[in-house]
Amino acid sequence: MNLDGSAVLHADPDRVWAVITDPAVLARTIPGCESLEQVGDDEYKMNVTVGVGAIRGTYAGEVRLSDQKRPKSYVMHASGAGGPGNVRATVTINLEPSGDGTALTYSADAVVGGPVAGVGQRMISGVAKRMAGQFFKAIDGELTGAVVPIAAAPSAVAAGAVGEAAPVAAAGGASDGLRVFTGKAAAAPVAGFGGDAQTLAIGAVAGAALTLIGVLVGYRMGRRKG
Amino acid sequence: MTTKLFGEPVRRREDARLIIGKGRYLDDIGTTATLAAAFVRSPHAHARIVDIDAEAALDVEGIVAIYTYEDLTGALAEPLPVLIPHPQLTAPRTGYPLANGEVNHVGEPIVMVVATDRYIAEDACDRILVTYEELPVVVGVDAAREAAHAVHEEIPDNVAARHHQETGDVEPALAASKNTLSFTQYIERSACTPMEGKGVHARWDADDSSLRVYTSTQASTSVRAAIAAKLDLSLDKVEVIAPDVGGGFGVKIVHPWPEELLVPMAAIALGTEVKWAEDRREHFISSAHERQQKQEITVGYDDEGRITALDVHIWHDNGAYTPYGIIVPIVTATQLVGPYVIPTYRVIVESVYTNTVIVTPYRGAGRPQGCYAMERTLDRIADVLDLDRAVVRERNLIQPDQFPYDQHLTFQDGRPVIYDSGDYPGLMVKLKDLVGWSEASRLRDDAAARGKLLGIGMALYVEGTGPGPYEGGHVQVLGSGKVLVSTGLTSQGQGHETSFAQIVASELGVPIEDIEVTTGDTRRFPYAVGTFASRAAVMSGNAIALAARGVKEKALRIAADVLEVDPGDLEIDEGLVQVKGTPGASIPLRTVAVLSNPLRYAFDEAAKQATQFATTSSDDKPPVAEGDAPGLEHRDYYSPIRSTFASGAHAAIVEIDQTTWEIDVVKYAVVHDCGNVVNPMIVEGQVHGGVAQGVGGALYERMAYDSDGQLQNASFMDFLMPYASEVPDVVIDHQETPSPLNPLGIKGAGEAGVIPGTAAIASAIEDAVGRRIASMPISPTELYDLVRDDTSEKTATALRRVGTGASK
Repeated sequence: MNLDGSAVLHADPDRVWAVITDPAVLARTIPGCESLEQVGDDEYKMNVTVGVGAIRGTYAGEVRLSDQKRPKSYVMHASGAGGPGNVRATVTINLEPSGDGTALTYSADAVVGGPVAGVGQRMISGVAKRMAGQFFKAIDGELTGAVVPIAAAPSAVAAGAVGEAAPVAAAGGASDGLRVFTGKAAAAPVAGFGGDAQTLAIGAVAGAALTLIGVLVGYRMGRRKG
Repeated sequence: MTTKLFGEPVRRREDARLIIGKGRYLDDIGTTATLAAAFVRSPHAHARIVDIDAEAALDVEGIVAIYTYEDLTGALAEPLPVLIPHPQLTAPRTGYPLANGEVNHVGEPIVMVVATDRYIAEDACDRILVTYEELPVVVGVDAAREAAHAVHEEIPDNVAARHHQETGDVEPALAASKNTLSFTQYIERSACTPMEGKGVHARWDADDSSLRVYTSTQASTSVRAAIAAKLDLSLDKVEVIAPDVGGGFGVKIVHPWPEELLVPMAAIALGTEVKWAEDRREHFISSAHERQQKQEITVGYDDEGRITALDVHIWHDNGAYTPYGIIVPIVTATQLVGPYVIPTYRVIVESVYTNTVIVTPYRGAGRPQGCYAMERTLDRIADVLDLDRAVVRERNLIQPDQFPYDQHLTFQDGRPVIYDSGDYPGLMVKLKDLVGWSEASRLRDDAAARGKLLGIGMALYVEGTGPGPYEGGHVQVLGSGKVLVSTGLTSQGQGHETSFAQIVASELGVPIEDIEVTTGDTRRFPYAVGTFASRAAVMSGNAIALAARGVKEKALRIAADVLEVDPGDLEIDEGLVQVKGTPGASIPLRTVAVLSNPLRYAFDEAAKQATQFATTSSDDKPPVAEGDAPGLEHRDYYSPIRSTFASGAHAAIVEIDQTTWEIDVVKYAVVHDCGNVVNPMIVEGQVHGGVAQGVGGALYERMAYDSDGQLQNASFMDFLMPYASEVPDVVIDHQETPSPLNPLGIKGAGEAGVIPGTAAIASAIEDAVGRRIASMPISPTELYDLVRDDTSEKTATALRRVGTGASK
């Protein structure tokens, strides 16, 4: 399936690139991020918990970057797996100056497998776009020092609903994740790659990847009833 | 024989179960863990789908899945099948299981939501926002014919099919006719409206990749095949079962309904049980309707009222799609001629698209319209010639010595319309007697003295029943003595558990209490066509009889060995195989069943008798002879050369209140000929139900579409069905003209009761008020308006009555 989206961020592309590749920021902004860990050059592991609709649970994902052209574009290769499903995605991310800010667009080609794939494309893409929206909204909050509504096309409409629907993922989960990540990040990877644009770009990638990975993060298919 | 039950009014064995809540209908299946499906359906009659926004539905706690057309793959993404292709169906169209960019009637499914229960699924549906670009709407045959707009862009004239049959050159025949009459009449839509709507339950077993589907259908074997084809499953991995079905009347012969594919699809995708049970509004706007036609008729006739030529041009509204082909137009075209000799006949049925729900067979399946055309034509001839309507009919009837009678038409089964047997004058004699036809004038005067208008009408029909291609039956006697009977076609309340058991009891000589009948379960009988066209008794009844005969033959052969007599000297009665005229020389059928299956292992006392050291079989023959098989069972099929033609005659007496213009059917007489009768009580029940629907179609039921294609009476608050208080007491007389085409000599009876209702009641109302009734159904308001309108056509009979002072 294909998944496209965009966000307007209130800073120039260089600054956006820097922020969306800051692991500390990412840990704060990726909805439901529990850990983010470098495992090699341009390769990262992350655990994300998703709590939206029927798509709910924890997934382990891996992310690899390529074709990095700072501050314009890069390609992210993401994959993830968990109990009820798996995903493999290639995401192209572009940053374009737009007025005083940056227009970020992403275009994902994803293969979703396992039982979670059975819930329908609308469900999967709806959750993914919503999480992307949450992520970019949080990123923009980092850039401006305040939470500012953004224009992530698919999710802007639902901004109000997001807050109601996914408090665990957006608030509690994220902040818990942040603490966990911060410890790990401080210990090794950030130091080793400090200032390295390539490395840090991963974060942005991961942020976008999460939108996809979130999708596969388990689902719960009426088990409460059984 | 004490077990000869064929022809007896045996009480329906299934009723106790059904009326005390022990029935197992579709919605009784499943557990609290079963997921529920609900649908977002089009609110527009014709529109493009611009966008589907499901975002808000994600927040509904308990939602599991959301499916749109994009989720359909392979054959499932293709249009639904055109079930019955026909060369004259030149522009067939079917919908997709979920709309693919365009909707063509209100109620067309667009999104399927699956959730932990139906309430949640409905809540989620409410939050899915579909954006439409509305398109021009075509409603009714006139708008379709005018073709200012097209339902399907690529079919600008809206004509799906132009069905044409003729038995001669009608125009010269009309030109040569002494008299001719031309007129146009109209008949509205109605629908089957079974008590139980459709419903589907699907369970996927991921461990062995098998699917079990329960569906409230009239054709489980074909649903099975359709599911296997559409979901790319091997047929052996799919089971389809029709559980107790709360009425069908035709709407459930259509298949696969979108839900019959989508619910299994979801069950497979989610690895669990999913169920959908149709609600009443869904049934009104998403299932199927029937009946609407505009009929342009020209008839030639002589001064005695004998028809010389008949030319009929019908505009038939087939709704938005043609999944069931042109069966209804064909049936109207071919059954219109009824029990009459029509020397030259031409019929053209233009089947046109409208932005309304599909039109597929509803009990009668085009025959009520055909009967309405023919019988009202005869009424008009009688009116013009000042002849008794019964006399005009009598002069045109096919006579008993004319059978088999070839109408030179091609029926819905692709076979010739050759009436196999009948006695139509006999029907007429019985009908006039039953209704008191000759008393009508006195009754009219009596009513007039009470301030009421009374009228009488009659209508006759011939109904092709029991079309092929085939049905099968399986009969097995168990070692316990229980007799298992199965057939693949389904039951919707017709009493098959009783009538099929009667056939087996009679054929095999066993108590009916020992017989268990299973229908519509592909696990038990995988080959079948379905229950439609009044065919179950004819088709499965005969197949089961043949299967029972096969069992009997084998049982006598085995028993003859044991008893050391000739099989011809044996009979079976009350489950005991005995030598005719020699009491005591006998063996129970259940023992024969045990012996029919040579055993190595004695798993119970009875089984001991069949083990290797207990029997005295010959050492030089194998235990199971070549060409034989273990077990006392037989499977057989009945495949008819063509349909068998039942017939009947109805008469109605109506009384009309001149203040309220309420139309009261005070007497309704039925003479019915369905050949040999298996169970007269069941046949009468079928007739009663049919008459009730006939009265509904004549006086109450219509589908009130507005010009935007919105069905304004899609509930039982607004759609009028006759209650028991509106259904007249029906007096019935039987005539039995056996069919020479099948072993049991039977003809179908399921639909007959509904066929002449509209024609007979229209005739009676016309007789009462003296105004031409050319549009049915008719409500009190419409009748009031018609009578009050000085320009409405008065019948010649009424004018004569005024002239003679015979009536007001």
